[in-house]
Amino acid sequence: MKKIELQNRLATILILSLAALAALIAGGLVGYLLASGLPHVSWQFLTGSTKSFASGGGIFDQLFNSFYLVVLTLLVAVPLALLAAIYLSEYAKQGPVTTGLRLAIEVLSSLPSIVIGLFGYLIFVLQWRLDFSLLAGAMALTILNLPLLTRACEDALRQVPQLQRQAGLGLGMPKWRVTTKLVLPAALPGIITGAVLSAGRIFGEAAALIYTAGQSTIAVDYANWNPFAPTSFLNPLRPAETLAVHIWKVNTEGLVPDAAAVSSGAAAVLIITILIFNLAARGLGKLLARWLSR
Amino acid sequence: MTQSPAITVNQVAVAYDSKPVVSDVSLAFPAKQITALIGASGSGKSTLLRCLNRMNDGVATVSGEITFHGVNINAPQVNVYRVRQQIGMVFQQPTPFPLSIYENVIYGLRLRGVKDRSLLDQRVEESLKQAALWEEVKDLLKASAQALSGGQQQRLCIARTLATRPEIILLDEPTSALDPLSTNQIEATLSQLKKDYTIIIVTHNMQQASRISDWTAYFEQGKLVEFNQTAQLFINPKEERTANYLSGKFG
Repeated sequence: MKKIELQNRLATILILSLAALAALIAGGLVGYLLASGLPHVSWQFLTGSTKSFASGGGIFDQLFNSFYLVVLTLLVAVPLALLAAIYLSEYAKQGPVTTGLRLAIEVLSSLPSIVIGLFGYLIFVLQWRLDFSLLAGAMALTILNLPLLTRACEDALRQVPQLQRQAGLGLGMPKWRVTTKLVLPAALPGIITGAVLSAGRIFGEAAALIYTAGQSTIAVDYANWNPFAPTSFLNPLRPAETLAVHIWKVNTEGLVPDAAAVSSGAAAVLIITILIFNLAARGLGKLLARWLSR
Repeated sequence: MTQSPAITVNQVAVAYDSKPVVSDVSLAFPAKQITALIGASGSGKSTLLRCLNRMNDGVATVSGEITFHGVNINAPQVNVYRVRQQIGMVFQQPTPFPLSIYENVIYGLRLRGVKDRSLLDQRVEESLKQAALWEEVKDLLKASAQALSGGQQQRLCIARTLATRPEIILLDEPTSALDPLSTNQIEATLSQLKKDYTIIIVTHNMQQASRISDWTAYFEQGKLVEFNQTAQLFINPKEERTANYLSGKFG
């Protein structure tokens, strides 16, 4: 065998085995979590409420809080990220301001989430007097997700062919209309994919929420649809422990005798939900792309 | 020149970030004729074309005067959107919007707020007929424009430009992405259109310039070398540089 062929074969084997190792670690972790958690997941576990001292508690409130927090966060984060992305992709000229902005976004994306959580605690919870609330949590998670979401939106916008913009301008369309009527619809599948992937990240986040959305859940009324009522399940100003925070709390200070079972069951539910988010991101993106290009 | 020019450029220069790409070009484009701009890549012919409907705005600095109906449309206070409605543009590759054929054609009219259904219907038919596409698509106006072939899409883009009734149509290498058959159809369409429109076309294809244009301007390194009637320029070029380019000694 020639030397160059040998090198090629060795490199291929190295790459393949490293990839296999990475897949093995990820797959093993997910497999372990599911294997140890799924036996504890039951209908009662999903729909019951937490118990303070007795065993047999469920995770319904936490599960609902997590989903609601995803909705609230995306409501704040997507418009912000989209506007930032539109600026960066359509309007920003190369220069120190743009470079600085990009740098700031990159730095933000590498901030530890606990730092963002403490920042949220100081600013949103104390300074702005939001107390431990879903809203404070949603804003902390907005900071956490803004960099990746902005990047995803910007990539989606940039993938729209330049000629489409030119064609619009050539017909006498003002630039903002080219952006809203031609570029944005074409970029929508990518934007949706980015948003759903963000949803998965929000769902799994704990550190940024411990000091913002709080670690306790008040008794809420699931029949009260008035978001301004203090006990309504939709009230964004109530404290809300999410699923990921619940897992952390049960493990650190859980007093229930079945703490280990609750924790692994909740972890399994968490990982399955995030898996669904990721699959939905792909499916939805493809579906939208097909629908828009009819 | 038998007619007064449709548009005149006077001492136009273009620079990208202070790097000059077109310098001191003066040229009068005859009305209702086809003028071809030829030259090697980087000769500035496309850049000059894009000046004529202000498509270089925000991209490059354009100095000099561009006169259209007695108005210098290169002046900053000019309404560029109205300029672009009167001086339409077709690009290197077909650029249909992800809409129906019908909606594509009337896109520019909708933009101007035209709602009268009968007027829209009439414009669609007229424009598609002028672009020689009507017979092929008259029964599928509601179908997606993206299902058309490349050549059909490019004629659709011509129809879309025609629908706003411009006076001048700028074409930037409109057949560079098309097969020979579609190219022939586009060329035939353009020859028909010059009865009513002034056409200015950038092309890399010298045969195309000699086939369809009445006038040809040859550019080299951002400068206009020679401008003459196509027959004259191709058979008996006055400048040696033009002769070299035409015979393939340059480029």
